Amino acid sequence: MISPDKMKKIKEFIDSLDKEEQTWTNGYLEGIHTGNSSIEISSHKNSTENKKITIAYGTESGNSKKIANLFASRAKQEGIHAKIVSLDQYRLTDLPKEEYFLTVISTQGEGEPPASAKKFYDHIHQNGFNLPKLKYGVLALGDTSYPMFCKAGEDVDHQLGHLGGQRIVDIQRCDVDFETDAHNWMNDVIQKISGTKSSSYSLAKVVKKSSGKKIYRGKILANINLNDRGSAKQTHHIEISCEDVFYKPGDSLGIVPHNPVDVVETIISHTGINAERTFVHRNDTCSVFELLHKKLNIVYLPERVVAKYAVQVKEDIPAMKTGLLDLIRRYPVKDPSHFETFLQQLEPITPRLYSISSSLETVDGEVHLTVARDKFSIDEELKYGLCSDHLCSLKVGSEIDFYIHHNDQFRLPEDNKDVIMIGPGTGIAPFRAFLSERESAGASGRNWLFFGDQHFTTDFLYQTELQQWKEGGVLHSLDVAFSRDQEEKIYVQDKIRQRAAEFFQWIENGATLYVCGAKKMGEDVEKTIIDLIKKSGAADDAESYINGLKTEGRYLKDVY
Amino acid sequence: MSEPNLSSIEKIKQASDSLRGTIREGLEDEITGAISEDDKALVKFHGMYLQDDRDRREERAEKKLERLYSFMIRLRLPGGFLTADQWLATQDIAGEHSTGIIKITTRQTIQLHGLYKSHVKPTIQAFNEAKLHSIATCGDINRNVICAAHPKQSPIHKEVHDFAYKINELLLPKTKAYYEIWLDEEKLVDKKEEEDPLYQDRYLPRKFKIALAIPPNNDVDVFGNDLGLIAIIENKRLTGYNIAIGGGLSSTHGNPSTYPRLATVIGFVSGEEKILKTIYEIVTIQRDYGNRSDRSLARLKYTVDKMGIEWFKTEITRRTGFPLDKEKPYQFTERKDYYGWFQNSDKLWYYTPFIENGRVTDDEKIALKTALYEIAETRKLNFRFTTNQNVILSDISDDDKVSIEKILKKYRIEEYTESISSLRKNSMACVALNTCPLAFAEAQRYLPSLISKIEPLLKKNGLQEEDIILRMTGCPNGCARSYIAEIGFIGTALGKYNLQLGGDHAGMRLNKVYKESLDEPAILLELEILFSKFAKERKTKESFGDFAVRKNLV
Ligand code: SRM
Ligand SMILES: Cc1cc2nc3c(=O)[nH]c(=O)nc-3n(C[C@H](O)[C@H](O)[C@H](O)COP(=O)(O)OP(=O)(O)OC[C@H]3O[C@@H](n4cnc5c(N)ncnc54)[C@H](O)[C@@H]3O)c2cc1C
Ligand SMILES: Cc1cc2nc3c(=O)[nH]c(=O)nc-3n(C[C@H](O)[C@H](O)[C@H](O)COP(=O)(O)O)c2cc1C
Ligand code: SF4
Repeated sequence: MISPDKMKKIKEFIDSLDKEEQTWTNGYLEGIHTGNSSIEISSHKNSTENKKITIAYGTESGNSKKIANLFASRAKQEGIHAKIVSLDQYRLTDLPKEEYFLTVISTQGEGEPPASAKKFYDHIHQNGFNLPKLKYGVLALGDTSYPMFCKAGEDVDHQLGHLGGQRIVDIQRCDVDFETDAHNWMNDVIQKISGTKSSSYSLAKVVKKSSGKKIYRGKILANINLNDRGSAKQTHHIEISCEDVFYKPGDSLGIVPHNPVDVVETIISHTGINAERTFVHRNDTCSVFELLHKKLNIVYLPERVVAKYAVQVKEDIPAMKTGLLDLIRRYPVKDPSHFETFLQQLEPITPRLYSISSSLETVDGEVHLTVARDKFSIDEELKYGLCSDHLCSLKVGSEIDFYIHHNDQFRLPEDNKDVIMIGPGTGIAPFRAFLSERESAGASGRNWLFFGDQHFTTDFLYQTELQQWKEGGVLHSLDVAFSRDQEEKIYVQDKIRQRAAEFFQWIENGATLYVCGAKKMGEDVEKTIIDLIKKSGAADDAESYINGLKTEGRYLKDVY
Repeated sequence: MSEPNLSSIEKIKQASDSLRGTIREGLEDEITGAISEDDKALVKFHGMYLQDDRDRREERAEKKLERLYSFMIRLRLPGGFLTADQWLATQDIAGEHSTGIIKITTRQTIQLHGLYKSHVKPTIQAFNEAKLHSIATCGDINRNVICAAHPKQSPIHKEVHDFAYKINELLLPKTKAYYEIWLDEEKLVDKKEEEDPLYQDRYLPRKFKIALAIPPNNDVDVFGNDLGLIAIIENKRLTGYNIAIGGGLSSTHGNPSTYPRLATVIGFVSGEEKILKTIYEIVTIQRDYGNRSDRSLARLKYTVDKMGIEWFKTEITRRTGFPLDKEKPYQFTERKDYYGWFQNSDKLWYYTPFIENGRVTDDEKIALKTALYEIAETRKLNFRFTTNQNVILSDISDDDKVSIEKILKKYRIEEYTESISSLRKNSMACVALNTCPLAFAEAQRYLPSLISKIEPLLKKNGLQEEDIILRMTGCPNGCARSYIAEIGFIGTALGKYNLQLGGDHAGMRLNKVYKESLDEPAILLELEILFSKFAKERKTKESFGDFAVRKNLV
């Protein structure tokens, strides 16, 4: 066995490594065993001398940024001059001048680019120019549990080629466990640029150890509707206990909701498909029933899937989104076999995310959520959102599987810095976590919260907790906007406007600005803030002032 | 004269800058429906109480919502008088800003409940439009001056009623805080000095209540007031008033030094100026000698017992400069509202419907609120409230009577009133739950159903026509004057009441506790026994209260 002092050395060495380096070393050792790694440790940098590359990243929750930074430092080790930039800061006019242009980009929404990459994405999609000089490569971050896996990256990869760019390495699609794939892609790129097969050891190939998401199982401790009688809303405060759970304020909790059993059974009876028959879905095999119940999206099919169904049943169905059951009712399948083939074309159930509204510092082994029961109606009939409805109806003691979606783009600053939080409705969630964290840390920085909802008496989420934070001095300022308590509607942005001078002062003093909640609200708030920066007169160009805040990481949004 | 240890309220009053405190700031605080503790004490002087819905406490706490705070506002209506237009305004305001229910109180005025903080100012401004206000209807100061309600009682009714206004004027505070805070100041007509020789900056040690009674009806319960004036009529003329001091009808469970007390008649005064002077100085004596360290012993009744009647008389004379005359003979025989139609000496008509516990609303039994609104819209009458929580449709001319009767018929008000048992007609209950913070037990929400269970017991003993005065309060503060009822129920805990017996018809005798903390079955059992005993052993015309005393039941 290994001698204690060797062991000691190994431990010291391992401790000195960061996560990626450990992953690499791990795979590297594997490689030595399986013999498929080359260990020529020689470095002739001359070939890479004065090569210039640009690494541009588009990120929502920070993963792409992390990889891009790692990439840059690796490149520098190789003597490559690497410039790193976030796509929302990237000067589009530079694109034609680029030599090596490497994009690290994630996919958001339903196959869309991250908000910060939108400008770039749209730009390259409007043709009318080409990029003959451009040598490029794309690293796409994504999540196989979403139907449009790595779509944004694929689009970018395809468009740059379409515009005449020269692809130096194939696109690499990464799942949530992106470390190794990303590492290997970097190696390929660096080798392509340096023209050598391999140089320093850090470039040796690493064997992927597939990990995937860590799935936790939690128990419901409490599930309370925070809205009072007579409210139009239903917002549940849900407490989940889970021994080993780890997260940071700013993270969200991810859930893949199951489809209602009755709907599944009706579909099975309508199509005559054999519920026991087993299928292979992703890497696991399961019964038709389980497939429809736990894996495939059947409640609300996108147009592309409806179109595929039309082909199967040989009907011309107008382009629309709808639930599978309605579809089957309106356009019955003639033969179970048709449905079996169609099953293959159904997409996975997309995970739903919920901002975590607690801090492990105050509630160890617990995760709290603030879930709005999603209501909508289809021809006068009231319906509820699949996941939020399920969560709101969970009984105390029942169990639930989830994962943690980390978001390094939505973190608290140092304790001595001020923060301004704007979170109406469920947007309050991460800020409840922030305030708990800041309180237990005894942070000296000041905290200012803007909250809003419909009515003061029925919809003031976490009112008593916020009042206590205000009294205790944790909250230095608390402004509330209740839209429907008076004739004219009042929203958080109106409250911001009312206190424009102070608001701007806080920002000038280095406060970090956080916005969470509905997309539309996020936009209105941004307009207001730009507006008040203009009015303040202190900044001649409000847009660039805001961008300045973005680059400094002092203007962070988590909107949905 | 400063006392050793002033109670916290005393300090708040003196530091309040003439009752302003930080009320204005409190109204602007958007994160709570409440106001600060100190301001809670001060808004009372502006006629409001901060309350919360006690039914909702636990549930709201679990939802992480603060208590469901709201304000109750009480109007100042000397003698309980409103014009038709003012009634219409009041109903409109109630609908727009409060629960919509108008509560007629045992002191002849009305209260609106459930005003959220943001509604208080609009409410007061709307009342102001209608020439109504709530100044000093609560707090340590002279409260709404009450007066014998029914104009048919005597030709001199108007004279006495007008005098209630004069007393009211005399004892209003001088501070302009109310106009500044609620009416945004400019509404203020002429800005006199705030200098207040009567109340100074300390106001009174406790609430102060004045009533004017016209014998033989003691509807106002004149002896339950700090200061009672009994109209003395000689050969059809009002010659003056007997003065009675030191009435108060509350006690505190477990505090033997507190007790209900009937006012003591100390003499007679005549001549408007002298009467007003006497009233004024009685108030100043209470101001100077009342207990300012222990609020439970601060009412005039305790000052009187502390200093003694004789001392009090001399002190009055010392301050007024003239002696009180010897009290004149008078006689009270009843204490009731006159339900139905009656005419006064000026041939004007009056109709009194039955309003259970003074709650004007529409329910499955009767659409009172709608009916009264429609009646007010004729603008052919005035409204007068009684101290038994009823309203008198007043001053209706012969010609207009028909049109009003039409509406009463339309809503079956007369039919309804006639159908009410005499026990129910002689009953009152205080507000208690869910708004009263001091309630131990239910009252106005519970008494109606209890009476329904008592009525059969009376019938069984052939007593259904008896006038038996029954009153229930949710705590020993006695807001429905349960200490001078023939049957008094005083809440001790949820569902539990002390049963008090022995009050008389005229309100000259306090009742005493007969059995303690009874639940409903026990109450019904006791009453059943008492009623059958009464039916068998009563003397002719003997009232239930007198019977209880004669039989030494208490
Ligand atoms: C509305 C009314 C009862 C009703 O159903 O009509 C009432 C209701 C309350 N009374 Fe009263 N009192 C009412 C007539 C009385 C009477 C009867 C009377 O004056 O003829 C009494 C007994 C006589 C007396 O004053 O001695 C009375 C003795 C009290 C007391 C005990 C005072 C004392 O000397 O200890 C309190 C408690 C206190 O003041 O500390 C009190 C306090 C209260 C409060 C304000 C509770 C509080 O202090 O927070 C109650 C508000 C409940 C609510 O939600 O509306 N109320 N209160 C009456 C309003 C009269 C008015 O228009 O001003
Ligand atoms: C980063 C992030 C953080 C979030 N944080 C929170 C949070 O803290 N709290 C919170 O409450 N939410 C949060 N959300 C939103 C949440 O993830 C879900 O989107 C939301 O709960 C709705 O999901 P659902 O399954 O309940 O509704 P779904 O079933 O997904 O339905 C959503 C909408 O789709 C349409 N729809 C669905 N089915 C049909 C049908 N059959 N026919 C017609 N239309 C249909 C309706 O318009 C419906 O409103 C967050 C989202 C993100 C991305
Ligand atoms: C709201 C939301 C929607 C997403 N949609 C997709 C998607 O359609 N396809 C996909 O491959 N990944 C999707 N993902 C997964 C992210 O791309 C993945 O978490 C990635 O690691 C995020 O990288 P970033 O931190 O650089 O943004 C989605 C993530 C979120 C939070
Ligand atoms: S008697 Fe007691 S319970 Fe009834 S209203 Fe007065 S204070 Fe409240």
